[in-house]
Amino acid sequence: MGAHAELTPGRFVGRPLPRREDERVLVGRSQFLDDFHPPGVAHLVFVRSPYAHARVISVRPPESAAGLVAVITARDLEGRARPLPIQTPEGAELADEPHPLLAAGEARYAGQPVAAVVAESRALAEDAAELVEVDYEELEPIADPGASDLDLMRWRRAGGDVDGAFASAAVVAGGRYAMPRLVAAPIETRGALASHDPAGELLTLWCSAQDTHRPLRHLAHVLDLPAERLRVLVPDVGGAFGSKGSLAPEAAIAAIAAIDVGRPVKWAEDRLENFLAAYQGRGMEADVELALDPDGRMLAVRARIRADLGAYLLPATPMPPHTAAMLMAGCYTIPAADVTVTGVRTNKVPTGPYRGAGRPEAAYFLERAVDDAARALAIDPAELRRRNLIADFPHRSPLGWTYDSGDYRRCLDLALELVRPRPGPVDDERLVGSGVAMYVERAGGSFEAARATLRPDGRVVIRSSTSPHGQGHGTTFAQIAAERLHVDPADVALEFGDSALVPGGTGTFASRSVAMGGSAIVRAVDQLREQCLQAAAPLLDAPEAAITWGKDGLTAGDGRTVVLRDLAAGGALETGARFESDLVFGSGAYAAVVEIERATGRLTVRRLAAVDDAGTIVNPLLSEGQVLGGAVQGLGQCLAEEATYDEQAQPTSASFADYSLLTAAEIPPIAAEFVESPSPLNPLGAKGIGEGGAIGTPAAVANAVADALGGCHVDPPFTEDKLWKAMHQ
Amino acid sequence: MKPAQFDYAAARSLDEAIGLLGEDAKPLAGGQSLVPLLNFRLARPELLVDINGLTELARLERSDGVLRIGALARQAALERSELVAAGWPLLSKAVRFVGHPQIRSRGTVGGSVAHADPAAELPVALAALDARFTAQSPRGRRTLQAGELFLGPLTTALAPDELLVEIEVPPPPEGAGSAFVEHARTHGDFAIAGAAAVVAPAEYAAVAVLGAGPVPVRAPAAERALSAGADPREAAALAASAVEEDHRRALIAELVRRAIEEATR
Repeated sequence: MGAHAELTPGRFVGRPLPRREDERVLVGRSQFLDDFHPPGVAHLVFVRSPYAHARVISVRPPESAAGLVAVITARDLEGRARPLPIQTPEGAELADEPHPLLAAGEARYAGQPVAAVVAESRALAEDAAELVEVDYEELEPIADPGASDLDLMRWRRAGGDVDGAFASAAVVAGGRYAMPRLVAAPIETRGALASHDPAGELLTLWCSAQDTHRPLRHLAHVLDLPAERLRVLVPDVGGAFGSKGSLAPEAAIAAIAAIDVGRPVKWAEDRLENFLAAYQGRGMEADVELALDPDGRMLAVRARIRADLGAYLLPATPMPPHTAAMLMAGCYTIPAADVTVTGVRTNKVPTGPYRGAGRPEAAYFLERAVDDAARALAIDPAELRRRNLIADFPHRSPLGWTYDSGDYRRCLDLALELVRPRPGPVDDERLVGSGVAMYVERAGGSFEAARATLRPDGRVVIRSSTSPHGQGHGTTFAQIAAERLHVDPADVALEFGDSALVPGGTGTFASRSVAMGGSAIVRAVDQLREQCLQAAAPLLDAPEAAITWGKDGLTAGDGRTVVLRDLAAGGALETGARFESDLVFGSGAYAAVVEIERATGRLTVRRLAAVDDAGTIVNPLLSEGQVLGGAVQGLGQCLAEEATYDEQAQPTSASFADYSLLTAAEIPPIAAEFVESPSPLNPLGAKGIGEGGAIGTPAAVANAVADALGGCHVDPPFTEDKLWKAMHQ
Repeated sequence: MKPAQFDYAAARSLDEAIGLLGEDAKPLAGGQSLVPLLNFRLARPELLVDINGLTELARLERSDGVLRIGALARQAALERSELVAAGWPLLSKAVRFVGHPQIRSRGTVGGSVAHADPAAELPVALAALDARFTAQSPRGRRTLQAGELFLGPLTTALAPDELLVEIEVPPPPEGAGSAFVEHARTHGDFAIAGAAAVVAPAEYAAVAVLGAGPVPVRAPAAERALSAGADPREAAALAASAVEEDHRRALIAELVRRAIEEATR
C-alpha cells in the first residue's frame, strides 16, 4: 500500500481543524437559494395531481388571476423539452419510463406536477394554481409493490458455483428482510432560480443541488442545448443526503418558464411539496439465503431484491438497487453469489439515492441473514463473522467488484471492544439485546478535476469540481492543499459551485469527494509546486534540486529564501489536473445494545459503537461529524422514520406532524473510532466517510433487536406496536 | 404553503373581538396550530381576529383559592409560574410536554384547549383537575366542564362567535399528589398516548387519559377503585379496558399505572 500513499500525515492532513464554514452559517451570512431576489423575479408553483393514478383529461388555465404571469401545461412543452435522462447501471434492463416534466395524459403519483403557474409572488401563484381546472378520471392505483407486475428494472448477476454450494451446505439460513421508503428531509428543501439572457444566448440556473455537473447535463438533455449555453450555480445548500443529485423536473420547468416569460423565475419548494414530490430513499426488500458448511464457513449467497421504484425512472432511480445487489457478498470470503433485482412500478413518487443509496440495504439484508445463520449454527455471531472475513486484498467478490484494501477483523474487534456491555439494570421489565453488523461500501470512481492558482498576493486559490452541501469541503480541501504547499490553510481559498469557474467533474455523492476531488487537488497542487520550483530557481540562482521547501518559503543551499508571493509577483501561476480511479471500498463494523420495554414495546438504543475504515482520514473532527450524522439518520430509520401510503397510494406521512425525525433527546452515546487502511488507488489513500453511519447503524440495531426478541425478526422502523406484538405473539 | 387570502383585524377590546367573530372568522392567539392550518389551506377563514393585544386575557392568578388562567396566557407562562407549580403542579408537569420551548413561548393555554387536538396535553390535565371553561359571545357568558366542551377531534362546543376567555381550575384536594406521563415517538412530538393522575391514596383520585378516544376522557371506574384503595395496576387496567386495540390498551394501562404510582410516590 505504501507505494501510492504519497501523502504522509503531517502538519494539516490528519488534524481535527475546526470547520471554517461554521462562522458564516452561524451568523446567518449563508446564501441559500431562496435568499436570492433578483429584480423582476417571478415565482413558480405547481398544480399537482391529487390522485395517485388518474387520466388527465384536460387542463384549463384561468382566464385571469391576480398577479398571474403564465401557466404552462404539458401541451406547451411538446417538441421543445424532453423528459429527464435515465442512468443505466451496468447489466440492467430498464423500461423506457422517464419522468415527464409535466403529466401528459396520465398522472402516476399523488403530487406529480401537472401544470406550472408563474405569478408575481409565491402566494399569488398558489392562489392562481387553485384556479387551474384539471379534469381527472381516476384510475386504479398500485400501492403495494408486491401487487405490481409492471417491471421498470431487471438485473441479475451470478458468480461461482452457487447450486453446488447450496447442494452441499450443512445449513441454509436467511429470510425476507425489508427496508421501507424514507424521506431525505433536508432542512433546506429543493429549489431553482432561472434567468435567460436572449442576447448572450445564456441560460443561468441557480440550483439547490449537490453539484453543478449533473443539473447542467440533465438540463442540456431536456432542452437539447449545448453545455456552453448553460451556466449552473450552486449556492449554499442546506443539506441533500442524496436527494438533490438529479435535476428536479420542477427545476427544468423553472428554466423553461424563464425563457418564456423573459424574467427570472424562482421555484422555492415548500415542505409539503418536498414530502410529496422529492424522490424518496430505500423501499427495498430481499429474500436472502446463505449456505454454510458445518463449521460456519459461508459457501454461497442468493438474494432476490425487489425495489418499489415508484411511478417513473428518475435519472438515478436504478442506482441504489444495483449498488445493493453488487454488495451482497459483503465483507466475507463467499465464493459464490447469485443476485437478482426486480424494480417494480407503483403509484408513488420515484425513489432515488438517499444517504447510503443501496449500501444500508445490502448491509441490512446480508447481516440479518448472517445473524440468523449464527443462531441456526449456535455459533456466536461475531465468531461466525471472524471465520469468514476477507483478509487478503485486493479481493474480487463473486459479483465482480474488487475491494482495494481493508482490515475487517480490526474493525469488528474494535466495535465489540467499544460497545462491550457494562453491567446495567436488567430486570423483568426489559428485554436486552446486543448486535453487531459489518459493511463494505463502494466509494470514489469516475473522475474529478481541480485548478490551483498562486495569486500575486501569495494566496492560493483552489477551484474544485466537487462542491459541498454541508460536508466541510472548504476545511478539508484547504488542509490537503496547505499540507503540500507549506502554507497556512487560512491562506487557501476554495471556489466551488459555478460551472463557469470550476472544471468539469462527476459530482458530490457516494462519499467520493475526498478520494476523488481531494486527489485531483493533490495532483493540481503538485503541478503548482513544480511551477513554483521552476519560478524560484532563477530568483535564488540555484538548481531546482537544491531548493528546499519549508514553512518559511523556498530556500536555497546558501540560505537565501523566497516566499510564494515573490514567485507570483510577475503574474499568477496556475495549474489544472484531473484524477480518475477505480472504485475504492470503505468498510466498518457497528455494534449496538438495545432495550425493549415489555409493557409498551418501546425500543431504547442504549449504546452504539461505530468503527469505520475510510482509509486516510484528512480531518478526524469532520469525519466524526459525518459518522455521527449518518448514525443519527440510521437511528431515525430504526426508531421512527417511514414514508407511508394508504391503499389508494395516498401519502399518509406527508408532513413533520406524521413523519418524525429524531431529536437530540433520542440519541444514545455513540462511540466512533477509525481504522485507517489506505487505499492504493489514490495519492491520499482516502476512501469515503459520508455514509458509514447510515449503513452500519440499521443493520447493527436490527441484529440487537432480533437478539433481544430471541431471534424473532422485525423490520424497521422498530415501533413499539411492532415490538410489543412480536413479544406477545 | 401560503395561506389563502384573509382579512386581518387586531381587536382593541374583548367586546370588539367578540363582535368580529362569526362563521367565517377565527381568533388568532399564539397561532401555533392555526397558522400551519392556514398555510396548508386546510383552514380558510375570511377574517382573522387578532386577540394578542387583549392583555386582560393573559392573566394567571389565584382568587378565592381558584386558579384563573386567561385564555391568552402563554404556555411558557404556565410552565414558569411558581403559583402554578405550588398549587397545581399537574399543569406545570403537563405543559412541559407541549411541543418545544419555542412553541410554548407563543402558544397559549386557551388556544390549546379551543383547538381540541386529541393529542394535546393541556386538555387532558385540565380534565383531570375538573377545570371549568368560560366562553363569551354576544349572547353573554357561559361556563362548561371538559366533558361538555370537547366534542371530537378538533371540535368543541364553542359557537363560531364565541371566544374562550378564561379557565378556572379548582385546587386539588389537600394532600393529593399528581403526575403526567406520555408516550410520543420523539421528544416534543405529538403524544400517542398519555395519562394525568391526581391521587390522595384511599381518599381521592382523578385519572384522565390521552389517546383512548377522540377527546380527553376521565376514567371513573379506575377513580372509584383507587378511592377504595385498589392497587395502581388494577386501577390502570380498568382505565384502559374500553380501548379496543391490544397494543394501545397495554400502552395506556402502563401509562396510567405509571401516572398513579408517580402521583402517590
